[in-house]
Amino acid sequence: MLPEDTVFALVVLPLLGAAIALSSKAFFTGKRKRNLEYLGAFVGLVLPWVVMIQLLPLVLTGQAIEGIIGGWHESVGISFRFDGLAWLVNLLGFTIAGAAWLYSLGPGPHGPHFTAVFLIQTSALAATAMTADLFNLFVCLEVMGIASYILIASSEKQGAFLASFSYLMVSATAMVFFLLGIYGIYRTTGALTYTGIINGLSGLPDHGGVVTYISLSLIVGAVAIRVAVMPLYGWLPDSHALAPHAVSSVLSGVLIKTPLFALSRVLLLVPAGMYAGQLMGYAGAITALVAVIIALSQSDAKRLLAYHTVSQIGYVVAAWGAALYVGTHTLQGSILMAGAFLHALYHAMFKGLLFLSIGTTTDCASQRNVYQLRGAARLLKQAGERIPITTITFVVGALAISAIPPFNGFASKTTLSYGLKDSWQYSMLYAAGIGTMASFIKLSRIYWSKPEQQNRFPVPVPNANKIAQTFLAILCLGTGIFAGPMYRFVVTLFAFGAPNGPAPVLYSTQTLMNTLILITGGTAVFLLASTRIGHNILKIIRERPRDFQGLFVAFSLGVTGLSGWLLFWG
Amino acid sequence: MRSKITGLFLFQVFLCLVTITLVLIPLFWTDIPWPTIARDHMENFGMAASGARNMVSAIYLGYRVFDTLGETIVLLVAVSGTIGIIAHGGDVLAKGFGDPSRNESLYQEKTTLVKKQRTALLEVVTGKLGPVVLVFGFYVMLFGHLSPGGGFQGGVVVASGIVFLALGGRADGSTRLTEAGVLAKLESISFLLLILASLSGVVFGGGFFANTLAQAGMPEVGFIVLLNAIIGLKVGAGIGFMCIAMLGRAE
Repeated sequence: MLPEDTVFALVVLPLLGAAIALSSKAFFTGKRKRNLEYLGAFVGLVLPWVVMIQLLPLVLTGQAIEGIIGGWHESVGISFRFDGLAWLVNLLGFTIAGAAWLYSLGPGPHGPHFTAVFLIQTSALAATAMTADLFNLFVCLEVMGIASYILIASSEKQGAFLASFSYLMVSATAMVFFLLGIYGIYRTTGALTYTGIINGLSGLPDHGGVVTYISLSLIVGAVAIRVAVMPLYGWLPDSHALAPHAVSSVLSGVLIKTPLFALSRVLLLVPAGMYAGQLMGYAGAITALVAVIIALSQSDAKRLLAYHTVSQIGYVVAAWGAALYVGTHTLQGSILMAGAFLHALYHAMFKGLLFLSIGTTTDCASQRNVYQLRGAARLLKQAGERIPITTITFVVGALAISAIPPFNGFASKTTLSYGLKDSWQYSMLYAAGIGTMASFIKLSRIYWSKPEQQNRFPVPVPNANKIAQTFLAILCLGTGIFAGPMYRFVVTLFAFGAPNGPAPVLYSTQTLMNTLILITGGTAVFLLASTRIGHNILKIIRERPRDFQGLFVAFSLGVTGLSGWLLFWG
Repeated sequence: MRSKITGLFLFQVFLCLVTITLVLIPLFWTDIPWPTIARDHMENFGMAASGARNMVSAIYLGYRVFDTLGETIVLLVAVSGTIGIIAHGGDVLAKGFGDPSRNESLYQEKTTLVKKQRTALLEVVTGKLGPVVLVFGFYVMLFGHLSPGGGFQGGVVVASGIVFLALGGRADGSTRLTEAGVLAKLESISFLLLILASLSGVVFGGGFFANTLAQAGMPEVGFIVLLNAIIGLKVGAGIGFMCIAMLGRAE
């Protein structure tokens, strides 16, 4: 066995698990079928951890495993590169996927088919993280996409098929343009591997000029759809709100971030990449604020969370884009990139936790409307939850997303803000933080006070839910307490070669003052939103017109804008 | 739920088309010379390294076989999703699109209509052609390295052969190839085989997706033929299963 093969275990083990799960359905029935399905999940979600641990010493020293699949010549084969970045993205993927699959054992959807598609999605995540070939990136995104369309539709909720369909349509359209972008790059450089592309571009006058800019903006635009940055976010709220809870947590936590970090491999190498990053970063900062305002107006609990996903990914993209612009070899750039990843990782944990907790709660109460559901804590107790695990895990998630110390959201948001200090993006993110606080005060009201209807029979909470939620809640608290070591760990793994500088200070008078302002401001905004005028304004935002074709208009305008931006600066 | 085509809608379509065209024109209108690296490499070494006379098969089952694994998975998931939708008989779909429930009488009417449309002519022709189409499918599948064709195309031909058999066969048909259960078994086994084939290189020290058969002393092209056969079986079984489900026979 060659050392290069070890990294492919992360891709192949989930696939093997998927194959086992599919066979279990075709060949067996009853208990045997279920055991084989669980074996598949074990192979696909637990065994990769062995490989991850085995690879850790290598990536900690800043080394990378590189090669060409099948040992072909580099001009025709597929290159891959497994480094610290890939390891971290895999950490993100396998943590959340494991917890989410465990959760799905409770409320469903069940069955070998679900497990197989779920594992295929996990495998695509691992493959995306380490690909160093533009066409292979396309294939990985396609596999990831098709698995998520199926998983969204598998909830069988009203409208889930439609949500999945509009996601399918807009993302398939975007992928066509991604392919055209690959054409442009291949046409000019004759290469698909990242190193080949860089070599090809450096030999061209003006690095390929207009063709490169347009190809790059097509590729970035298509990835931005997956990442759901404004204005390309339109597909996300419906599909994340209507997917099964476990799938929602994976979609929000992992799926929208993996393409972003895979894209950074390309943008870090291409000369025009820094300007693309700059514009994406601006879009991210605006996204963070606008999405949180829309989130505040929502009445459906899961849709509210879905808009918060858009808002939080705005934080990540703002820092990520700024990092690409200043360059990851600088101290500020490395802090920003580490902050972006940390927030992506921590968001995966607390948003995954929030989706699962809210999912359990709304299932138990058979009510998803934030304005109507009250006294959920009591309902959960009636449903047989003697220790109020779901309420506690919700509170943990809400405190983490609102950046209250010592939870992990505080650590990552402070790191982000430290990197973005004295820029207009910083004020946008600050304002978004106040909105986040307000909207989680609003959401938390579903747990307090008395249930309005006494005659409702609460649905019992399965044990799998409690275990998965507790696991994620412990992670939220643990990574918050050990924020310093986590930061150093991520910076070491990224190995940018940036000058060593002091880590951002988490606990100072200023950050604690900020937290205090955040809490006060959030409460004030919440109280304002509860007034009659505030209520009416939110209603207007909630019921703003949205249409299917708007998704395509947003995409074409976004791509055109990005090309114009690159032409202007480049 | 019929929406009118409004001026706004037309403006949106217009805007999309104009902006995208503006962006795409410079992409195709360029005087940068065409790249030749990969072409030259394949011309000089392609035949010797892969053993395939059909260079297309050398690309998709040799140089870029990992991409092909991905595309196979896309097909697998798509088929599984389609079957999921069909299995619900459209009632979930109907709910999603705003209809209160499935129209039961319409469904019955449709089934009887399908039964009426079956004629003796259809049954005889499809029944007799079925095996021929199957053989042709296997030919396309197994000769993919020499002539246009390969696993994906051959698999689809095999699937149409299965559909022919299903249309032509009577209830006490002599083949089990049209049974949904058998096809599901075939599909899952060939998917497993594909994964194992990709791993075979790891076991024998050649690396992930290495040509194990060539290492064992067999012709280079053997691996391409093997993969073509596995993919063909998988595609044939998968698409066949989907068509059988569409005929309403998958229980």
